[in-house]
Amino acid sequence: MENTSQVPVTVLTGFLGAGKTTLLNRILTEQHGRKYAVIVNEFGEQGIDNDLVVDADEEVFEMNNGCICCTVRGDLIRILSGLMKRADKLDAIIVETTGLADPAPVAQTFFVDQDVADRTKLDAIVTVADAVHLSSQLVDHHEAEEQIAFADVILLNKVELVGDNDIVKVNDRIRKINPFAKIIKTTRCDAPLDEIVGLNAFSLDRVLDIEPDFLESEHDHEHDDDVTSLSFVSDTPLDMDKFQDWFGNLLRTKGQDILRSKGILNFKGEDERYVFQGVHMLMDASPMGPWPKGKDRSSRVVFIGRDLDNMNLKEGFENCKSA
Amino acid sequence: MNADLETLQKSNKTELERRGSIFNIGAPATEAVTIRDQIAVGFGDGTVRFFQSGSDPKTVKAHKGVVLSMTNYEDHVLTGGEDGRFLKISSDGNIDEIFNFGSKWVDCVASHKDTKVCSSGKTVYIWTKNKDKPQTLEHQSTVAGLAFDNKGKRLAVSRYGGVTVWKLNNNKWTASNFTWKGSHGTVTFSPDTKYIVTAMQENQIHGWRINDKADLAMRGYPSKIKSFTWVGDTPYLVTSGSSDAVCWPFDGKEGPMGRKPIVVANGGKELATFVKALNGEKAVFTGFTDGSVLLAEIDESKKPIIIRSSTGAEVSTIAISSDNSQILIGDMKGSILLSSLWADN
Repeated sequence: MENTSQVPVTVLTGFLGAGKTTLLNRILTEQHGRKYAVIVNEFGEQGIDNDLVVDADEEVFEMNNGCICCTVRGDLIRILSGLMKRADKLDAIIVETTGLADPAPVAQTFFVDQDVADRTKLDAIVTVADAVHLSSQLVDHHEAEEQIAFADVILLNKVELVGDNDIVKVNDRIRKINPFAKIIKTTRCDAPLDEIVGLNAFSLDRVLDIEPDFLESEHDHEHDDDVTSLSFVSDTPLDMDKFQDWFGNLLRTKGQDILRSKGILNFKGEDERYVFQGVHMLMDASPMGPWPKGKDRSSRVVFIGRDLDNMNLKEGFENCKSA
Repeated sequence: MNADLETLQKSNKTELERRGSIFNIGAPATEAVTIRDQIAVGFGDGTVRFFQSGSDPKTVKAHKGVVLSMTNYEDHVLTGGEDGRFLKISSDGNIDEIFNFGSKWVDCVASHKDTKVCSSGKTVYIWTKNKDKPQTLEHQSTVAGLAFDNKGKRLAVSRYGGVTVWKLNNNKWTASNFTWKGSHGTVTFSPDTKYIVTAMQENQIHGWRINDKADLAMRGYPSKIKSFTWVGDTPYLVTSGSSDAVCWPFDGKEGPMGRKPIVVANGGKELATFVKALNGEKAVFTGFTDGSVLLAEIDESKKPIIIRSSTGAEVSTIAISSDNSQILIGDMKGSILLSSLWADN
């Protein structure tokens, strides 16, 4: 449901110690003239005391059809519906997740639960990464990889503690996992709040912001279970039926390993651009106005996930080209 | 079936609206309960207001943030709030703080005679007469619904994965688990206490026959069921969540098993959001997403009566005074209609 009164929700992820609490304290104490509610997890660091802070217990539920994509945050459904009964309207809601949490159930809650989808909208997944420790965390914890993979915005924090060479290295490592997130380098999470909250990053027209630079389809292969990204570009228009068959089947059968997908599509015989964005098996897609005049009508798709090499993505995408 | 609302709404204001009073509170009405000749309503701004025919409502500033839950307790109401407080409030404005849970919400409250119960997180707290310290009952996930049976001997606690029914014997509570995959919210005992039923986070309600734990899955709803009410002697469990009031028969040995529900009060494009029995009658008030309210007998051949016309704001609560003389309708925009049910009142 399109609804202008939907309250935007920012999901904040990141390992313990990366600086999430610093950021939350800024959001709660800075004079920004806005009303933000913050949903914190029970394992959060102490020191946040504010009327707008809600304790959550991060209960991850399977809806009873047992489908992995219907794993949601049950507590979030309850808390968001409670917050929607407030007399004063909130400008935004921030959901903090524990350091080891998988961001997927949080994101999926906004696709799966109708009440949540009617009244709130997922604005962006923001991940705070520790510039000092990220490289080793990526080796030791697949959750760290997932948090980078899911992010729309990454605050690369504590850059003051790291040399320039190492910053370039960690930046490249992030890019390998997630080519489309916006990376902001910070000290004590000192990025302007309007670059973190209220971004509309999940809005479909933001898919159009995928920077072409990242869309060179090559990547270094490390381990099979590493999170990597693959992207494809085509100047030949795609066949809509073929694409829908391939993509639908792909998400159904491989959606568990595809963490995020995004794309802009040029279909044969269609004047409008089609855009889509997905989290695992769930996806939103719609036409997004005509192609800009004088610009190339090229289709672009990005996948972030595990084991992408064994999905025949390139071949599948190529087969969607219209004859 | 005709859309009852569409044909009925061609008329303007209803008789009930004309003779009633409208109060604009400005915050969503979250809960309403009846205490003698008054109706107490909790709001999203933390106030509890006591409405009575012929006078202005009395306002009690109870909670900071939303009044999440409310029930009656002797001459008082018990409320749970977003501010973590569990309160006992009298209609003259006296507030007694029973407990303060800090930043944890008090999601559910219940009472039976002199026993006061609330839940916060995964724990249920029970205060019995003359005891300062509560007994606690722990659960594996957050409690989303509480209900006593009519004797106060059993307490149903809904949560993820089913319901725990606690039985009181010699001042000790023992648990019995009723399992069904998924997340369970509001819970109720049938009036004969043979069944328990929950509204789920999915678009369905689920019931169990208590003696053998047989499952009753009641599905087919286009949206979540936010409200249900027991109606008549059969009795019927009437539910919101559809374009009609859906009435499941709970008579006989099998209850609604293998039977179709009766549907009354068709709202056309609108979905039912709140249902409330008319005490002593086989009839139910049904509030819809557009603010309209119909009164219907549980009989598909009878035409419903329009009680209130469309206002544009979802009906969030309906209460009837204990003598059946007054009706109160509250909505998500904070508008309250208080009116006499009968023309000669």
